[in-house]
This record gives sequence, C-alpha cells and structure tokens, in this order.
Amino acid sequence: MNRRRFPWLSYLLVVTGAVVTVVPFLDMVMTSFKGPGEAGTLPYRFLPRALDLSNYRAAVDQLDLPLLFRNSVVATALITGSVLLTSSLAGYALAKLRFPGRDFVFRLVLSTMMFPPFLFFVPHFLILVHWPLAGGNDLLGRGGAGLTVSIVALAMPFLVNGFGIFLTRQFMIAIPDEVLEAARIDGAGEFAVWWRIVVPQTKPVVVTLALLTFVDAWNEYIWALLVSTADPDVMTLPVGIQLLQDHVDPARTMPVVMAGLVLSVLPVLTLFLLLQKHYIRGVMLSGLK
Amino acid sequence: MVNTLAPETTRRAPHSRRAAVGAVDGRGRARRRQTVVAYLFLAPALLFFAVFLILPLGFALLLSLSRWTGFDLGDIDPVGLDNFTGLLADGSTFLTPVLTNTLLFALGTVALALAGSVLVATCIDKLRFQGLWRTLYFLPIVTTVVAVGNVWKYMYEPGGLVNGVLNALGLGSVAFLQDPDTALPAVVVVQAWASVGSAILVLTAGLKSIPGSYYEAAALDGAGPGTVFRRITLPLLRPSLLFVCVTQFLTGLQSFALIIVMTKGGPGDATNVAALEMYRQAFSHGDWGTASAAAFVLFAVVLAVTLAQLWFFRRTGEDA
Repeated sequence: MNRRRFPWLSYLLVVTGAVVTVVPFLDMVMTSFKGPGEAGTLPYRFLPRALDLSNYRAAVDQLDLPLLFRNSVVATALITGSVLLTSSLAGYALAKLRFPGRDFVFRLVLSTMMFPPFLFFVPHFLILVHWPLAGGNDLLGRGGAGLTVSIVALAMPFLVNGFGIFLTRQFMIAIPDEVLEAARIDGAGEFAVWWRIVVPQTKPVVVTLALLTFVDAWNEYIWALLVSTADPDVMTLPVGIQLLQDHVDPARTMPVVMAGLVLSVLPVLTLFLLLQKHYIRGVMLSGLK
Repeated sequence: MVNTLAPETTRRAPHSRRAAVGAVDGRGRARRRQTVVAYLFLAPALLFFAVFLILPLGFALLLSLSRWTGFDLGDIDPVGLDNFTGLLADGSTFLTPVLTNTLLFALGTVALALAGSVLVATCIDKLRFQGLWRTLYFLPIVTTVVAVGNVWKYMYEPGGLVNGVLNALGLGSVAFLQDPDTALPAVVVVQAWASVGSAILVLTAGLKSIPGSYYEAAALDGAGPGTVFRRITLPLLRPSLLFVCVTQFLTGLQSFALIIVMTKGGPGDATNVAALEMYRQAFSHGDWGTASAAAFVLFAVVLAVTLAQLWFFRRTGEDA
C-alpha cells in the first residue's frame, strides 16, 4: 500500500486503540494510591492527590496474602509441572514410538480439546467430593468432603492438557529418528532416550508450554472459587480479592481491591513482558492447531 | 547438553549397527517391548483422561437424566428427559432471556473484536515497532478475569473513568451495570476489549503471509487502498478470519467468569448467560440434574454455531 507516505491515519488508530487498552491498567494503579473519599467521588479524577500507600497496607492486612500467594503458587506449580511432564512423556510416545493403537490414542488426545470446560465443572466437583478414601470418605466415596478440602483439588482437573500433548508431539516429530536409533543401539533404554536426547532438544516448546500453562493456572478463577467455597484454606489470589470486594462497601474498598489486584497481577505481567516472545509463539501455535 | 550428546551417538552408530544385524529374530520381542514402554509413557495421560474426561462425561450424562440430592450415589433417581423438557418448557427463563443473552453476548463480542482486530492489525502492519504495539494489545489476555472485571466495574460507576469521560464531553452519567438495557452491552465491550489482542496476533500473522508482490501488482494496475483491501487483503485473510471467528464465538458462548465478577448475571437476568445459569443451578440450588442438562444444551448450541460457521466459510469458498 502507500508505504512511502507516513501513515498518519494508521498511527492515530493504533495509538488510540493502545490507549484504550492500557488506560484501565493505569486506572487500576492510580486508584490503588487514592486516599479515603477520593475514589468513586464526583467529579472523576484520574490522578491521585498523593501517593497514599495505606491501601497496600490494608490489602496486606485484610487479605491473608501469604496464604493466598502460597495456594496460588502451589496450584500453579503443580499444574505447570504436571502438564510439562505428562505432555513430554505422552508426546514422545505418540511422536517417536511405534505401537498398536497409536492413531487411536492420538485421535483421543485431539478430541479432548473439543469439549468445552463448562461441561466438566459439575462432574469434576462431584467426583472430587466423592473421591474414595479421602477427606473422611469410605471406599464408595460417602461420608466426607473427599478431595475438595485438599490443596491438590485446585490443580487436579488441569494436571494433563490435550493441547500440551499435541504441541509437544508436533515438535518432537522433527527430531531425526537416526539419532534416537543410534542411542538405542548403544543400549540406551527408552526412558534414557527420552530424558537424555529428546527432552533437551525440546526446550523451546517446553518454555512456551510452561508459560501458557503458568498464565492460565495463575489466572484461573471459576474452579478455584468452587473449591474454596468448600474449603477457605485453599483460596487463591483471584478468589480472595474478589471475596474482599464482595463483602465490603465498594466506595471505601475499591482502592484496597485495586491494590490487591496490582499485587496479584504483577507476577504474571512481569513474566509476560520478560518472555513475551515465547508466549506469543505459543498463542500462534495454538492458533494453527 | 544435546550438542555434546547427539554427535557422539551418531558417530558411534555404524560401529554398533553390525552387532544389531545378528539380532533380527529379537525384533518381534523388541517391538512388543516398545508397545509396553509406549503405554507406560502414555499411562499418566490416559489415566487422567479416564478419570477427568470420560468418567465426568458419562456422569454428567447420567445426571442430566436424573434427579439427585448430591449425597449418596445410590439415591440417583432416573427421570428421563424431565430436566431437558423443564429447561425448554414455556415460561422457563432458560430460552429467554438466558440463551438469547448468551447468543447476543457471543455475537456482540465477536463483532466488536473482529472489527477492532481487522482495523488495528491492518494498521499495525504499516507501522514501526510492531512488537511493541502487539505487546500492549496483548496485556489484557494475560490478566486475570478478576482484575479485568473489577477494574471495568469500577470504571463504569458514576464516579468512574467512563462516566468521567462522558461528563467531560458534556454528557450525562449512565448507570451502565445497573440499567438492564445497558448492562449486557457494557459487559460485551469488556469481553471484546479483553480478547481483541489474540485476534490481532492471528490476523497479523495472516497479513504477513500475503506475498508483497500482490500489492505491487495492484499498485501497478493503479488500484486504490480500498480496492486493494477488498480484493486482495480480505480474501487472502479468510483462513485467519475464520479462525478468529470460530474461536471467539466458542469463547463468547461459554465464558461467564467475567459476568460473575462484574454483574453476577444481574440486574435481574439481564446479563445471565447459559454457562452461568448452569453454574447457579448446580452450586447455588444444588440441582445437579438441571445443571447437567443445561450444560449439554449449551454444548449442542456451541457445536451447531461452530458447524454453521465452518459451513458458511466453506460455501463462500474457503477450505477450513
């Protein structure tokens, strides 16, 4: 198109859109510094009068931040670790091993991506409630709260990811068979071949998948809300902050909520800005599935 | 690690291949062993899918055909299609307003996100610092829905940013989330705002794959920017557009986290959508049967809408 002329109109559009995208984040930060009676009053002011840090102190006081952070970190770590491990193991079998039923298993993995998450909220919750021999349940899953009162409940429905297996498999197919065959002839078992040769070669896809999984797990809300209703001790950051906003008068607590949100959003935004190339490549790959 | 290991193993390979020739009869056993090993590698994933995919689907299907209090598995009471007929009966709120809201929510989100992303993606393509722009537009996607929902909820308040801008322009304040007429459009805007970044990403990649020679040829023929956009950019962007359409529709039809955070479905049922209704039936009313039936009805809608889009794009000349 007209590449020689300076594209004024395009700049105007893109910058306006970018402002609309970024301003809510700035408003969140600005509000988190606003003093009592300064937020939510007319007329609206974008900038706070002073850098009032008391909201952050209040957020730390009113929210059990160490507990919330711990739960979010544990759940995210469990999910990310498990997804990486199971995707790599299953991806290797599907990409590089020959065995009867391989096509069927691959198609099963693909089909898991077809079912929307909302189909599973109810049965997953009930399955965890009636998990045999856990949380006071008998062998038939009766009598207790099952796994819902355990921190692993936060992670359980997300421990394996069909898309993760698919992504890893596609990446592993490119590894030449000769390299693996040579290692096998040298007496390496399949586990050693996977761990010593395949895993190191799949670092890029591991980083990408780790980022995608981390961000999703850290931001997950609905399932964490369900599980924390059963047991407040496993509450995660998003749930804790939402609860704070549900229970206190909005006019006074908005700045405190915003301060809590800034604290909870910072780890992910930092990670994204540092590693965005890998993350964006992951989104692109998922766009090509 | 791989750079030190791989060449060494390949170097040693011809030497040991001689030893392998004599072991042809061992090949059957090796293959059987590889089958066992393969299923060991697959075991964690297969076990998971059995417990968290196949069992739940069966369980949900059973529940959708039953009445159950949720305590003793022996008390599941089969009621046939009652849950479904209850949902779809006259006077049930599930068809209107809930399913209507769901479709409007998805349609509104797709329309806004598609228009915005096509506009921004084609513009970004002509600018410098493309990475920077894409990063900015991508920020909402890595932000938790609790943050997105609360920030916008606050911005929609009388003393919030949106009304502040309206007042500065000399317009009156609007009670966006409290007025049943504006609540749904207000949450649609937020959902579109939050999802436009990934659409831009997909479309920019689509634009990059259009050969520059097409544009040069069009310029030589004296085509104006409007003609170029309609005759070259849009047709060649169709696969990306199809992808954005289908995925955004899927997300729009099933997402309710934003709505829980911003309005809880209110005022009244003004922003109540099918997935939220399912969630409420289950976890507020303990009506697992109706909830499961609602989930399957929504699943059918999702499938129908997706297939309709694939059919439409194929009919108008694009292999999906």
